[in-house]
Amino acid sequence: MEIALALAIGILTASGLWLLFRPRTFQVVLGLSLLSYAVNLFILAAGRLRTNAPPIVGKEAADPALYADPVPQALVLTAIVISFATTALLLVVLLASRGLTGTDHVDGEEGEP
Amino acid sequence: MTDARLLLIILALPFLGSLGAAFLPTRGRNKAAALAGIVTLAALLPTAAFYPTLAHGETMRLVIPWLSSLGLDLTVRLNGFSWLFSILILGIGALVVLYARYYMSPQDPVPRFFSFLLAFMGSMLGMVLSGNLIQIAFFWEMTSLFSFLLIGYWHHNQSARDGARMALVVTAFGGLCLLVGFMLLGHIVGSYDVDRILGAGDLIRGHALYLPALILILIGAFTKSAQFPFHFWLPHAMAAPTPVSAYLHSATMVKAGIYVLILLWPVLAGTESWYLIVATTGLMTLLVGAWAAIFQQDLKGLLAYSTISHLGLITLLLGLGSPLAAVAAIFHTVNHATFKASLFMAAGIIDHETGTRDLRKLSGLAHFMPITATLAMVAAAAMAGVPLLNGFLSKEMFLAEALEAHSGTVLDLILPLLATLASIFSVLYSVRFIHQTFLGPPPVDLPRQPHEAPRWMRFPIEVLVLLCLLVGIIPALTIGPFLATAVRSVMGGRTPAYSLAIWHGFSLPMLMSATALIGGVGLYVLFGARLNGFSQSPIIGHFKGRRTFEIVLAAIIDGARALHRLLGTRRLQVQLRLLVVTAMVAGALPFFHFGYGRGPRPDTLLDPVFALLWMLAGACAIGAAWQAKFHRLAALVLIGVCGLVTCISFAWLSAPDLALTQLLVESVTLVLLLLGLRWLPKRLPAVWPGERVPFHVYLRRGGDLSLALLGGVGTAAIAYAMMTREATDGLSRYFVEHAYSGGGGTNVVNVILVDFRAFDTYGEITVLAIVALTVFTLLRRFRPAAESIDLPEQQRRQNAFDDAREDRTRGDTVRHYLLVPRVLMEWLFPVILTCALYLLVRGHDLPGGGFAAGVTASIAIILLYMASGTRSVETRLRVQPVHWISAGLLCATATGAAAWVFGYPFLSTCFRYVNLPVIGDMPVASALLFDIGVFAVVVGTTALILVALAHQSIRSPRARRPSERSREGAD
Amino acid sequence: MSGWMQHLIVAPILLPLAVSGLLLAFDERRRTLKRVLSLATVAALVGIAVMLLWLVSDGFGLSPASAPRVYLLGNWPAPFGIVLVADRLSALMLLLASLLGFTALFYAMARWDRSGPRFHVLFLLLLAGINGAFLTGDIFNLFVFFEVLLAASYGLILHGSGTERTSASLHYITINIATSLLFLIGVAMIYAATGTLNMADLATRIPDVPSGNLALLEGGAAILGTAFLVKSGMWPLSFWLSRTYAAAAPPVAAIFAIMTKVGIYIVLRLTSLLFGQAAGGAARFADDWLIWGGLATMLFGTIGILSARKLSRIAGHYVLVSSGTLLAAIGIGGHAVTAALLFYLVSSTLALGALYLIIEPVGRNVEEEDMTSGISEPVFDDEYTGALEEDEDESGVVIPGTIAILGGGFIFCTLLLSGLPPLSGFIAKFAIIDALFQPAAIAPASWLLIALIIGSGLATLIGLTRAGIDLLWTPSEDNPPRLSVIEVAPIGLLLATCLALMLSAGPIFLYMETTAVALGDRSAYIEAVLHAPRANGARP
Repeated sequence: MEIALALAIGILTASGLWLLFRPRTFQVVLGLSLLSYAVNLFILAAGRLRTNAPPIVGKEAADPALYADPVPQALVLTAIVISFATTALLLVVLLASRGLTGTDHVDGEEGEP
Repeated sequence: MTDARLLLIILALPFLGSLGAAFLPTRGRNKAAALAGIVTLAALLPTAAFYPTLAHGETMRLVIPWLSSLGLDLTVRLNGFSWLFSILILGIGALVVLYARYYMSPQDPVPRFFSFLLAFMGSMLGMVLSGNLIQIAFFWEMTSLFSFLLIGYWHHNQSARDGARMALVVTAFGGLCLLVGFMLLGHIVGSYDVDRILGAGDLIRGHALYLPALILILIGAFTKSAQFPFHFWLPHAMAAPTPVSAYLHSATMVKAGIYVLILLWPVLAGTESWYLIVATTGLMTLLVGAWAAIFQQDLKGLLAYSTISHLGLITLLLGLGSPLAAVAAIFHTVNHATFKASLFMAAGIIDHETGTRDLRKLSGLAHFMPITATLAMVAAAAMAGVPLLNGFLSKEMFLAEALEAHSGTVLDLILPLLATLASIFSVLYSVRFIHQTFLGPPPVDLPRQPHEAPRWMRFPIEVLVLLCLLVGIIPALTIGPFLATAVRSVMGGRTPAYSLAIWHGFSLPMLMSATALIGGVGLYVLFGARLNGFSQSPIIGHFKGRRTFEIVLAAIIDGARALHRLLGTRRLQVQLRLLVVTAMVAGALPFFHFGYGRGPRPDTLLDPVFALLWMLAGACAIGAAWQAKFHRLAALVLIGVCGLVTCISFAWLSAPDLALTQLLVESVTLVLLLLGLRWLPKRLPAVWPGERVPFHVYLRRGGDLSLALLGGVGTAAIAYAMMTREATDGLSRYFVEHAYSGGGGTNVVNVILVDFRAFDTYGEITVLAIVALTVFTLLRRFRPAAESIDLPEQQRRQNAFDDAREDRTRGDTVRHYLLVPRVLMEWLFPVILTCALYLLVRGHDLPGGGFAAGVTASIAIILLYMASGTRSVETRLRVQPVHWISAGLLCATATGAAAWVFGYPFLSTCFRYVNLPVIGDMPVASALLFDIGVFAVVVGTTALILVALAHQSIRSPRARRPSERSREGAD
Repeated sequence: MSGWMQHLIVAPILLPLAVSGLLLAFDERRRTLKRVLSLATVAALVGIAVMLLWLVSDGFGLSPASAPRVYLLGNWPAPFGIVLVADRLSALMLLLASLLGFTALFYAMARWDRSGPRFHVLFLLLLAGINGAFLTGDIFNLFVFFEVLLAASYGLILHGSGTERTSASLHYITINIATSLLFLIGVAMIYAATGTLNMADLATRIPDVPSGNLALLEGGAAILGTAFLVKSGMWPLSFWLSRTYAAAAPPVAAIFAIMTKVGIYIVLRLTSLLFGQAAGGAARFADDWLIWGGLATMLFGTIGILSARKLSRIAGHYVLVSSGTLLAAIGIGGHAVTAALLFYLVSSTLALGALYLIIEPVGRNVEEEDMTSGISEPVFDDEYTGALEEDEDESGVVIPGTIAILGGGFIFCTLLLSGLPPLSGFIAKFAIIDALFQPAAIAPASWLLIALIIGSGLATLIGLTRAGIDLLWTPSEDNPPRLSVIEVAPIGLLLATCLALMLSAGPIFLYMETTAVALGDRSAYIEAVLHAPRANGARP
C-alpha cells in the first residue's frame, strides 16, 4: 500500500512539475492542481496509512489505536479549501492577463513556445 | 561643571539658527543674514571666553548618556586644540556671514543658503567638540551632506549639480571608511572614547588590526582633505557660491581630515607605514596641487589647487611624525585658513564687480579697486610665504622640518629639494595671481565696469589680512600662547621646544625660502606671459580626476547592469525552476547527510484494486501533462480522473470527510475551469523556421523533464520514508479521546475543524472571502481578447438557424434541447439544498460540515444557472454573495467572541444534545453556529466567483460592435 | 492579566477581521464611512500593539524574565489547541506593522483607495493576516495566516488593475502558490517526524527526535525554510519581488515593506526556538545557508540598486538588501547581533515605507504617472466605472513650497537608507558593525557582511542622489506638482519616527537587547506556552 501511494504521489508530482514549467498559463494552472493532489495525499501520508478504520468515534471513551490519525485529515481539509480558492484566483488572473496582454504566455509576451 | 553645559548650548545654537532661517520668507536676505550673524557671534563669544580655563592644558568634558550599551554617549570635549579649531570655525564663520550678506543677490532664496550654512557650522563645531569617535564620524558625514547642499545651492546649472554629487560621493565614501576605521580602533581599545583611545597608543600601534584601521581612517581623512588622488572633487566644488568656497573649501571642512589626523597623531603616528603613506601622499599632493595651480585660468580654480597643495603641505608635515613638524602643521593650518579665506573673498569681490573670473581677461584692477587690490596682494604674499607675514613663519618651520627628516629612506634626500620646488611654484602662482589681476594695463571688454566693493563687504578681508600681518610680525604676542596651548593639549609630554621668531639668523631654511622667492619671481618674469596659453596644466592635466571619476562610476554601473542581467531574470519559468531546484536540494541534503532508508514500520497489505486505480490515474496524469497544450478539454477531463481517484483513495484510507470535500471541490473547480476555457486563445501547433524544432528547445524540455522526474522520485522517496517510520505519539491521541467528551462530536475531523483548531477554519474562510472579492474586482474590469468576444461557434450556428426560420425566434434551439435537463435540474435544486442542510447539521457527528454543505449549496445554484440561464435565474432568485460573505464572517466572529461573555477565550464552545424527530438527537453546539458562518461564507464565495465568471459571457461588448447589443440574449 | 484584558492578544487579528466583515455589508458608495471605520481600526491596532508591548515587557521594563503572554484559543490546553503568543519580539513586530499600516492607509486616503473597489477591506484583512503570522504559536496556523495575508496581497497588488499590475501579479501569485505547496510539504514532514504542530511543543520534542527521524525533521524544516526564504526575498528566489512592488500602488507597496519582514520574523523565531543550541542533533543546521544566502542577496540587491533606472526599482532592490542583511545577521547569530538586527529591521522597514510613499509625488512632475492606470474606457456596457470618474477630487489642501518639502523628505529617506547620519539608519548600521566586531577574532563572513553593508549603503547613496538630482534639481518649466497634506503627513510621521528612534536610541536598544536575550533562552517561551492556565479549568 505504502509503495503504491508513494508512487502515486511521485507520478502526480512529476506530471505536475512538468506542467508547472510550461510557458502557457493554462498548463501552469493544471500543473498546480495536480501538485495540490500530490501534496494532499502527502499530508495524509504524514499520518501513516490506515485502511478501513472507523471514521466516527463512539460516544464512550475511544481508544486512539483504533482510529486513523485525524490531524492530517483536518490539515488536508484546510489545504483543499485554500488551494481551491487560490486556483480560482489564478485562473481569473490568467484570463485577465490574457485579455490585457493578448497572449496566454506566462510572461505576458510571446517568448518562443 | 556648568561651563560644559554651556558648550552644549553653543553646539545647539547653529542648528537652532538653521531651523529658524529655514522658515524665513524666501526674500528675507537681511533678516536671514542678521539671524545668522547673531547666532554665530552668540556662539563665538562664550567659546572664546573658555580660553582661560583651558590655558593650563585641562580638558573640559561632558558626557550625556545616549546609546551607552554600545559605548556611544554624547560626549562634548573641549581642549586647547579643539578650542583653536572652534574659534577658526566660528570666527571665519562670522566673517563669511557678513560677506555673504553682500555677495548673495537679493533674487536668490537666501534664507535657505544661511540655513544650510549654519547647519554646516553646527556640524563642523559638533565634530571638533566630539569626545567620541563615532560622534566624530556622525558629524563628519553631516558636514559632507551640507557641503553637498551648499555646492548644489545653484542647482539650476549643471556644473553645480555635478560638483555637488561628486563631492558627496567621494567624501561620503571616505566617511564610511573612516567610520569602519574608527570602529576598528574601538574594537582594539574597547572604547570609542577619544581620551581612552589617546591613552592606548602602544596597544593600537602594536595590534594586528593597526594597519587596516590606519588605512581606512587615512582614506577618510584624505578624501575629505582633498589629498591626491582624491583631490579632484575640490576644484569642481568651486561651483558653489564664493562664501561657501571661502568657508568650507578653504578654511574649515577640508581641514576636517587634517583635524582627525592631528587628533589621532599621538596614537597613530610614528610608525613606518604611517610615515610612508602619509608623508608620500602629502608630498604628492603638495607638488601636484602647486603645479596645477600655476596653469589655472580661473581665479577660483587657482585658489582651489593652491588650497590642495597647502593641505598636502600640512599632511606631509604630519606624515614626518616629528613633534616639531606637528607643531608646524597646526600653525600652518591656522595661517592657511586666514590668508586663503581672505583670498577667496577677494576673488569673490572681483567676480562680483567685474563679472568674470578669467585671469586672461582680468588686468590692472588696482586702479579701480585699490583697497581690495592691496588686501589681496598682502594675502597672496602670505600665501607665497613672504617674510613679515604669517605664511612665512609656518613655511620656514616646514622647510626646517623637511631638512630634519630622518627616516632612512630616499625621501630624506629628495624632500628638501621637492619642498623648495613646491615653494617656488607657490610663489610663482601667487605672483601670477597678483600681477595678472591687479597690475598691468586696464582691462578691456569686461562684462561689467569694475569699481570698489562696498565697505562692509571688504571688512572681513581687512580683518583677516590684519591678522596675517600681526601674526607675521609679532607672532609671540598674538598666536603664540594659543598655539602653545593647542600643541600642549595634543602632544602633552612630547611637546617640543620651538620658537615663533621671524629671524633665526642665517640658516638653510632661510636660504631655501629666499631661493623660492627669487626663483618664483624669476620664473614668472621668464614664462609668465606664456602661462595664459595653457588650457590645462601639463603632465598633471592629463590625469583628469573628474573624467576618471565619471568613467569609474559609469563602469561600475554598466558592470552592475551586466551582472544584474546575468544573476537575475524576469521570466516566470526560470524562477519556478529555481524554486523547485532549491526546494529539492533543501529536502534532499538531510537524507544524504543522515542516509536514506525505509523505517521499521511494516507495509500494510497492498490491495490490487487500489494499485489498478492508481495505474489508471497515473496514466491520466501523464496524459494530461502530455496533452495540456493542445487539447485543454481532454487534459481537464484526465485531471478530473486523477482527482476522482484521489477522492477514492481518501475514502480508502479511512478519511471520508476528505473524500467528500475533495469530490465537491473537484466538481466546482471543473465548472470553474470550463467557464474559463472560453476566453483562452486557439492553440495552433508552433511552426519553427525550417520546419524542425530547434535544438535548444529540446534541451530545455529535456531539462524540465529530468527536473520533473527528479522531483517526482524525490517526493515519492520521502513519502515512502515517512510512511514506513513509526508514528510518534503526538497530538492525535488527545483529539480522539476528547472529541466527544470535550468537543461534543463523534466526527473527530469535524470537531478538530470547528473546535480544537477552529481558528484555522476561521482563517480559511477569511481566505475564501478575500479571494472572492479579488476575483469579483478583477472580473468587473475584465476585458477579453478581441477574438474571444464573439459568441461561441455553436451559439452562432443555432442563432443563424433560428433566424432562418420565421416560425421560431432566436434562442429557441437552445431552449429546446436543454428542456429536459432544465426541468430535471430545477427539480433537483431543492433536493440538493436539503442535502446541504443535512450535511451542515450532521457535520459534527457524521462526515460533512459547513464547508461541504456550502459547496453543495453552491453546486445547486450553479446547476440552476446552467439549466435555465443566468438571466432567468436572476429574475427569480436574488443571490447577494457579498452579503452572504459578510454575514458569514460576522456570524463566525460573533460565535467565537460570545465565549468572552462567560470569561472564556475566543472560540470556546459549549454544546448540548436535543432529540428531534426524524433527524435523531442532534448536537446543538455553539460550534454549529460557527459552522453556519463557514457555510455562509462558502456559499457566498463560490457563488460569487462562478456567477461573476459566468456573467462574462453575457456581457455585451460596447464600442467594438454595437450591433452585438441587439443580438444578445443567447445565455 | 484577567477580565477583558486577557483577550487583548487576539484583538490584533479579530478587530480588522470583524470590521472588514462589517464593511462588506455596506456598498461601495459609503466611502466616508468606510474611510473613517478603517482608519479608526488601524489607529486602534496601534494602540493595542502599544498596550501589548507594555504587557509583555512589564511596563516597558527591561528584565528579560518578563514572561510571554499566551492565549489558548477555544480554551484547549497547549499543545492541542492553537495558541497565540505575544512576547517582546511579536509585540514589537505588531507595533511596527500597525504603524506602517496606519501611515499607508492614511496616505491612500489622498486618492488611491478610490482607484478600485474594496480597498479598505483588503487592507484590513492584510493587516489581520500579518498580525496573525506574528502572533500564532502553531506552524499550521501560521500557514493559514500566511495564506490570509497572501490572498489579501494579491488583491491589493491588483488594486487599480492595469496591464503591468496584472502580469506582475500573475508571476507573484503563481510563485506564491508553489511556495505554499512547499510550506505544506514541510509541515507534513515535521508532523510526521515529531507528531506535533505547536512550536513550543516542537522545541521540547526536537532534541530527543530519534536519529532515524532526524533526516525527515531536517528535510521538512529545510523545505519549510525555503518557503520562508521565498517570502523574505532571498536570492535566487526573489526576482519577482522588485517588479511586483514596483507595479503596486504606492500605499500598497509601502505596506508591503513589512511583508518580507514577516518571513524574516519567522526565520528568526524558528531558528532561535527550534534550532537553537539546545536542539540536539539538528542544532543550528541552517546557519551557513542563511549567512551565504543573505550575503548573496545583499550583493544582488546592491547591483540591482546600481543598475536601476527608476526609483521604484531602487526601492525594490533595497528591500532585498535589507532582507539579505537581516538573514546574514540571523545566520551569524549571538545576542549583540540579534539586538542590532532588530533595530535595523525596524529602522529599515520604516524608511522603506517612507521611500515608497514619496516616490510617486517626487516623480509626479516629471513623468505624469497616472493614478487611474486601470481605469481606461470600459469595454462592456455594464462595466463598473471606478469611483474616480464620478466624484470630485478631494485631495486635501495644496501646500506651498512643495519642492522644498519633497526635497527634504527625499534627502531624509536617502540618509536613512544609505545609513548616513543624522537619522536612525546610521545607528542601525553602526550597531550591526559594532556587534560584528564584538568577538576577539572576527570571522570572514563578518568582514564580508561589513563590506557589503558599506558597499550597499554607498550604492544606495549613488543611486538615490542620481535619481533625486534628476527629479528634484533639474529645473522643470511646468509648475511644481500639487501635493496634499494627506500625502505629506504620513511621510512626515514615518520620518519623525525614525528621528525618534535615533534620539531615544538608548532605551530602544536596551529593549532590543533584552528581546535578543529572551530569544536566546527558549525556556521562558516554552514554559509559558505549555503551562498556560486554562480559563477556570472546566468548560462552560
